Amino acid sequence: MRERMEKALRKSNAEYTEIRIENVASSWANFRGEELDKIGSSRTLGGIVRALVKGGWGYATFNDLDAIEDRVKEACESARLVGKEQSKLAEVEPVVDEITATLEKDFRQVSLSEKKSVIEQYNKIILGYNDKIETSNVGYRDSFRKVWYWNSEGTFIKDERPDVGVVISATAREGDNVQQGFESHAGSSGFQIIEGLGKKAEAAAKRAVDLLSAPPVTGGEYTVIMNPKLAGVFAHEAFGHLSESDFVYENERMKELMVLGKCLGSNILNIIDDGTIPGLRGTHKYDDEGVKTRKNYLIKDGILAGRLHSRETAAKMGEQPTGNARAIGYQYQPIVRMTNTYIDKGDATFQDMIRDVGLGLYAIDMVGGQTSMEMFTFSAAYGYMVRDGKIAELVRDVVLTGNVFQILMNIDKMGDTVECPPAGGGCGKGGQSPLPVGFGGPHVRIQNVVVGGR
Amino acid sequence: MIVNRLIEKAMRKAQGAQASLEQSESTDVSFENDKLKSVKSSQSTRMGVKVILDGKIGLSHTTDSDDVDGVVARALEAAEFGSPAHFRFPGPQDGPDVKVFDDAVLSVTKEKMVRIGEEMIGLVKEYKSDILLSAGVDKSAGRSQFANSAGTEYTTEATAFGVWVNGQLIRGTDILWAGHGFGWKKREIDHVEIAENAIELFKMAENIAPIRSGIMPVIFAPQGVNVLLLALTLGFNGKNVFLGSSPIAGKLGEKIADERFSITDNPLLDYAIASGKYDGEGVPHCTTPLIEQGVAKNFLYDLDTAGRSGTKTTGNGVDCHPTTLVIKEGDTPYEEMVKNIREGLIVHDVLGLGQGNPISGEFSVNVLLGYKIENGEVVGRVKDVMLAGNTYEAIKNISAIGDKAEWAGGSLLTPPIGIAKLSVVTK
Repeated sequence: MRERMEKALRKSNAEYTEIRIENVASSWANFRGEELDKIGSSRTLGGIVRALVKGGWGYATFNDLDAIEDRVKEACESARLVGKEQSKLAEVEPVVDEITATLEKDFRQVSLSEKKSVIEQYNKIILGYNDKIETSNVGYRDSFRKVWYWNSEGTFIKDERPDVGVVISATAREGDNVQQGFESHAGSSGFQIIEGLGKKAEAAAKRAVDLLSAPPVTGGEYTVIMNPKLAGVFAHEAFGHLSESDFVYENERMKELMVLGKCLGSNILNIIDDGTIPGLRGTHKYDDEGVKTRKNYLIKDGILAGRLHSRETAAKMGEQPTGNARAIGYQYQPIVRMTNTYIDKGDATFQDMIRDVGLGLYAIDMVGGQTSMEMFTFSAAYGYMVRDGKIAELVRDVVLTGNVFQILMNIDKMGDTVECPPAGGGCGKGGQSPLPVGFGGPHVRIQNVVVGGR
Repeated sequence: MIVNRLIEKAMRKAQGAQASLEQSESTDVSFENDKLKSVKSSQSTRMGVKVILDGKIGLSHTTDSDDVDGVVARALEAAEFGSPAHFRFPGPQDGPDVKVFDDAVLSVTKEKMVRIGEEMIGLVKEYKSDILLSAGVDKSAGRSQFANSAGTEYTTEATAFGVWVNGQLIRGTDILWAGHGFGWKKREIDHVEIAENAIELFKMAENIAPIRSGIMPVIFAPQGVNVLLLALTLGFNGKNVFLGSSPIAGKLGEKIADERFSITDNPLLDYAIASGKYDGEGVPHCTTPLIEQGVAKNFLYDLDTAGRSGTKTTGNGVDCHPTTLVIKEGDTPYEEMVKNIREGLIVHDVLGLGQGNPISGEFSVNVLLGYKIENGEVVGRVKDVMLAGNTYEAIKNISAIGDKAEWAGGSLLTPPIGIAKLSVVTK
């Protein structure tokens, strides 16, 4: 294959060309209620050609590898139709590298029946929890992605990207009141990480049942303490997306808003994106343009310190490439994405954070988040009211929303321990979802957060 | 045909089998930051196999056309541990007539697609030059083969065409997003009208109008009706009904909404994205009323879920998802709906839909694009506003339904819907 692809690459008449081929083996199993709902496995083989002419991009994706030379030609023609200015790509040293994944317990060697029996056990724990449990949804999935990457500058990378995870959800019901408890666990280090999670299944069931009798939070403005998992989503949603340079590099207004050195948050705030942390889901040695990943400070002591780049955005903004051009799969071109994003620790203990709170909200874990750059919204899985410095009653339907530029200034206490939870799910952008990302942080306290509700 | 070969291989071991092959070619022209950014062409092939072996189901799929033996073997392997089948593959049945192919899509050149995008961007720029625009024009043509071991066999050719434009206007730290788009299986889309729709949204947003927290009437524009519909698409899903997680399980025949509210799943509208003769299991498509004059009528089923529930499939395979949802028009002109509100909100687009516990009907979303009504007039857009409520309460509490339905995206045809009271929270 290598010879065939290198030959096809030489046929290109574009200024820059690359080919990425992927071969993915995946399997899945899913229980809903008593019965197994789905089980199966699949194989995906496909690729993409990307060509650059006079600043214009042509892409061609395909499943049929035999026609690769036609696809290169097609991408070049498309690029030629688009290109009207000067091509700019940040300089990167060409590399030749082969990366082999190391799995403690290789899920490719685990039978479908064993995969099924692991989640069957979690499913039984949920359904047997008590009679308020109405149903369950417990899913397993794995994928082993082999990626071959060539570009016309001489780079060749062969990479292996394993990912395995379970999602565990319990549904409890009392009349019309339906509540859910949700846990997920995912990572790249092997099948063993999703074994022995009976406690998580029990926690999901317990939470669903407990939420039946929890009132919805009353809408309003609160002092909010986020737990590490929620703080991680906050870093990703509320700020991370703003630091993706494809939103900035050709947008004069956004450049003014996001000028490096500008104070954007309180001085205890540090946000970092780091694609090199072993075991996290956003970690890779190279991004999908063959650029080495690295640790990038986005906010340092409240000051905008950096941003995430592809080779194109880096060149156009006169900054260094950061290894953040990522594609969800062979059907897509790489775009600027986060890897593992976290808030760095401060010096407050949890007691320091709640001690002086008259009425506040302790918001825990997350079920999702979305941003429009300026505005963000994200949902905690559940929360507790904080009353007179003490954790009080459980509340549900906790949705936090706000304006990024205001909220980052309102952070007034930073916890002293960072956690990066091995959660599943992923990030969506430009129709590419879900991309595996990592996130985390310490406990974070924010003043005056708008909480939705009735 | 390849599908017959797949069935033949599977039936050497299995008692029932279904196979599909989907092939398509598409082109996608994309504009970013006011400029043509890329042209993408995609060729795709996908084979899927479903088998029933000793009463159990196994699935597999592949995009590698050399993987014919592998895909069958994996489906058979999965079936050994699979879930029990509660259905049999259906025999040949005639499907209804519905148009899904338009020759005119095939002849659209890349250059023409570029011009459509440029024209839309030009029109919005003419209105206000500092709106930064992105746009897309896409087309595709595909062929799918389907067969099963009960003798059902068909081939479909379908096309698709879509156009959208989206703008961003930044003032200080205020970022306004608005846009419009539409896609279906036909070439005929008036891109000028799409650009004009986007301009209208920006015009209405020129002023920021303050709004207070409280309970107030809300009009969901067609694009905003999704906020109400998410819970219904989950609630009417036969699988959720069977599992008991749907709050309307057991409520067929009961009045669950205002009597003016009727909603139907309709896969037979010519050229709609989700339209076609058959569903994904070879069952002929049909229209299915979900709510008729406020009364819950039917849930949506695929073969297996219908078998488990002791009912018949509604042709919503696989997974009991709706196709195109159509909400019946009411009798109030949109202008009058606005005029009748002294203080309220119009919702076009939200952030955060589906987070939380959507199946319960609860929603709590940030209004990304919404407008304030004062004394019967739109006075500007709102900012930093959360909207919260419950779909099942809201549809009992309808104040008016517009007299004209519009496409909201490609799979919802709806008039604007007014809800008498919803909770609005702001700073």
